[in-house]
Amino acid sequence: MSRAELSSLQARRIVEARLGREPQDMLEVAVALEAWAGVHAGEALERGRELMATAPTAPRSSAGRLPGTTAQRGVAVEALSFVIAVVAIACWAAPLSDRLGPRAVEQALILALPTTLTLQWGLASRYLSRPEGLAHLGRRPLLLVLGAAALVAVPAAALGRAGALAGLLTLTWTGGTIVIRRHWALAYAAMVLVASAAMVAGLPATNVLSLTAALTTLGVAVALKARIAPTGHPPGRWGRAAVAAAIGAGVGILLVVDRSVDWSLGSIPAIALIPSSLASFWGGHHLWKFQEAIPQALSGVAVSDRSARGLHRRPLRVLAGAVTRVVGLTTALSVLLVVGADELGMHTTGRTVLVGFGLVALATLFAGLLESVGRGRWAIVALAAGVAGEVLAQQLTEVSSVAGGGLILGASITVLLAMPVAVAMLCRPATTLATALGIR
Amino acid sequence: MRRERSDRAPVGGRAPRPNRTRILLTTEGTYPYAMGGVTSWCDLLVRRLVDFDWQVLPVIAAHGRPPLYDLPDHARELTPIELWSEHLPHGGPLGAAERRAGVELPAMLVRGLIAWDGDAGALLEALLWCRRHPAGVRRTFRSRHAWRRFRAALEEVLDERVSQAGTPPRVDLVEASLLYQSLYWVARTAAVETPETDVLLVTAAGWAAVPALVHKALHDTPMILTEHGVYVREAYLAGTRTGNSPGARFIATRLARGLACAAYAAADVVSPVTAANALWEQGLGVHPDKIHVVHNGLPAPLEATPPPGTRTVVSVGRIDPLKDVHTMLHAAREALRHVPDATFLHFGPVTAGEESYGRSCRALHEQLGLGERFRFMGRTTESMSVVRAADVVLMTSISEALPMSILEAMGAGRPVVSTGVGGVRDVVKGCGVIAPPGDAHALAMGVVTLLRRPDLAGALGRRGHRRLARIYNDVACVSGYRELIRAAAVGRRPIPRSAVADRIAA
Repeated sequence: MSRAELSSLQARRIVEARLGREPQDMLEVAVALEAWAGVHAGEALERGRELMATAPTAPRSSAGRLPGTTAQRGVAVEALSFVIAVVAIACWAAPLSDRLGPRAVEQALILALPTTLTLQWGLASRYLSRPEGLAHLGRRPLLLVLGAAALVAVPAAALGRAGALAGLLTLTWTGGTIVIRRHWALAYAAMVLVASAAMVAGLPATNVLSLTAALTTLGVAVALKARIAPTGHPPGRWGRAAVAAAIGAGVGILLVVDRSVDWSLGSIPAIALIPSSLASFWGGHHLWKFQEAIPQALSGVAVSDRSARGLHRRPLRVLAGAVTRVVGLTTALSVLLVVGADELGMHTTGRTVLVGFGLVALATLFAGLLESVGRGRWAIVALAAGVAGEVLAQQLTEVSSVAGGGLILGASITVLLAMPVAVAMLCRPATTLATALGIR
Repeated sequence: MRRERSDRAPVGGRAPRPNRTRILLTTEGTYPYAMGGVTSWCDLLVRRLVDFDWQVLPVIAAHGRPPLYDLPDHARELTPIELWSEHLPHGGPLGAAERRAGVELPAMLVRGLIAWDGDAGALLEALLWCRRHPAGVRRTFRSRHAWRRFRAALEEVLDERVSQAGTPPRVDLVEASLLYQSLYWVARTAAVETPETDVLLVTAAGWAAVPALVHKALHDTPMILTEHGVYVREAYLAGTRTGNSPGARFIATRLARGLACAAYAAADVVSPVTAANALWEQGLGVHPDKIHVVHNGLPAPLEATPPPGTRTVVSVGRIDPLKDVHTMLHAAREALRHVPDATFLHFGPVTAGEESYGRSCRALHEQLGLGERFRFMGRTTESMSVVRAADVVLMTSISEALPMSILEAMGAGRPVVSTGVGGVRDVVKGCGVIAPPGDAHALAMGVVTLLRRPDLAGALGRRGHRRLARIYNDVACVSGYRELIRAAAVGRRPIPRSAVADRIAA
């Protein structure tokens, strides 16, 4: 079709009918005329120039959106399984202490907690938080087997029975994270419950733990085998995983540095972790929404609109909601725990430890937020300062005389350093979206 | 296994040998990672042009899948540039002066690529900065100051009032941040080191051109840009069918236009596969002297076989809005009213990401009551043999360059009924029926005429067969590119007229 056969009005009508709106520019006119009216390219381009050479129209408003984030599935089941697993594992402390001695158990826990958290954070960053992360992890079976063996053998060689116990605990907890990521949380919780029952019933605790670690490792092998397939999503970056692992290590060290928290006193310290762990889980789950809250706050706000106010409210509300959940649930569950312990006449290492664990949960929340926006190094700095403060606090009698005093001081330092950075980032949602969330 | 190197280390194949012309072939989402027309064309050139040493640099979205093609001995694949991956480039820290200069980088890119009359010189300067400071790109883009300057530059661009360009929409902060991220990846692509080469062969006027135009600016290496479709046109067509916001559409099309214009400006030769596309390239500012058409080609066809006489109409192509399968279904319904015993067979899968369009085609098929008279046959790897089983070959695309399915129909001696888009008119000259795009009635009448007049269909098919052997054969295609590359490598520039298969007159 030639230009002469098509009047300007016809051309405009064809273009607008096909597009369902006014054309954006001359090239869009040309494309529409060529594709749907059979106009030759040269003539379509010329007609495009003609049609656009009219009075400029008012700019159209626009509201962008980001692809939706993937919903977290089975959170309730995971939370329930987590509680069951923590309670059950807390029940292991007494039988293990009876068998190996309280000193060995304490040493084991002091080693196992930071190691597990290091591995969990590192694995989550590189593999477990990725759509096809399990498949990528499963592609290195030899490395996994060697790693699992080293987790037990190295500490056992260094620390003897305590080291071996630490290795088995690390294997069980870290493997549990992988199994839970495979959505087999209930199966994992059931296995841990059975193991606890066996220990309480008087079966040799170390044998039961060895079997549990072996079964968990087997579960990991099956979980990874079942997912090996060609993937479309690469794993995370090693550098980022290392930063995440360092954050995990920082949180773990923060938990175990304070000598006034006695991990050898039966199940009490482990049970004391439950309120803050659960609250951390809930708060973290809520905080995930900030990734949607930021674009929602910015959608429809023109680049040129310098007068737009209150863009930070929605993301800050999400953060406040997460903090409220952590503080509220920790407080509520801690009160329940204290009342319950008093009723049962159980010995505790001090109620202030619960405060310390609650603050660690808060520190973890902020560290996690900073890591997720690619500012993990800030989190490491805050955690390092917190650990340093905790170590120094051991020298101060006023602080060290309070159970968990060092923990409270260290975690408070971390929160005080990490929180302003996190809040500042959310107060500048456009900058954060463009420079931090988009460019990892 | 997935490679995780960030340098341009070769993945496989032999290193270039001395005294042989080295070609750096840059591809975008095609060879050797995806099937399709451009991939087949690349493979043909790489395999047949054995007198050159090939280095293939693919630009792909990060997916971790292995390549689909093994390269021959005289070719090697470089580590692909993976867009939107998490891998970081190597490099040391920036000095204070470099940091200050780097802060302007996103603003320079937005002015160079998104503005209607972008500053090509400033754009090139920005891309060269990226190549010189690969590790600085990420640091720069993560800086608040760079984002602030970017916003100011984007506001300037949005305030432009050029009549041809229409009025830019009020781009919002989400869209601006997405553009910022896309420009980050343009910068990352520019930052990638390229190996020594004698000729740059770029297969699309988009992302694939970025490393090449930086290389050219640094080493003055001759650059040949081949286009199968027209990058800008395809971006605009994609924009018309997505439900994107005005701002997102504006950004996607302007970025495509900016990349294409930069590629056109840097290229010494622009080589479309059809003269029809050259009109677009001229319209986008390419000087006619730069444009040299080299047609696609098929291997010398076997003797034309007589049509089966079963009143079978075959179409080959993806199920995609660009192929306008809806019009095909309407045309089939109308043709079946006149020739009730005809059978329509469509071969081709649904394009990834166009599943909803695929479902709409099925629904329309149902609604039109076509039943077994029109069958979706799925993917085929034997397109020549399915075309041989046809009496007529049908194509209803709204955008094409030089479609292989039409060349295959001609190779089999089958007449073609097609929409007259892109280079189709030039190819199907005297050997088929052309109808306007979207005109189901005209297409149906073409099909009906050829089914009812087997003598005419046979004559047109034989003419197509002869025409293919004469013009659109692979020998001519390969030798056309050989001459183009040799001329570029030896004389650097300009390319002598004798080296080209066809030329667009000014």
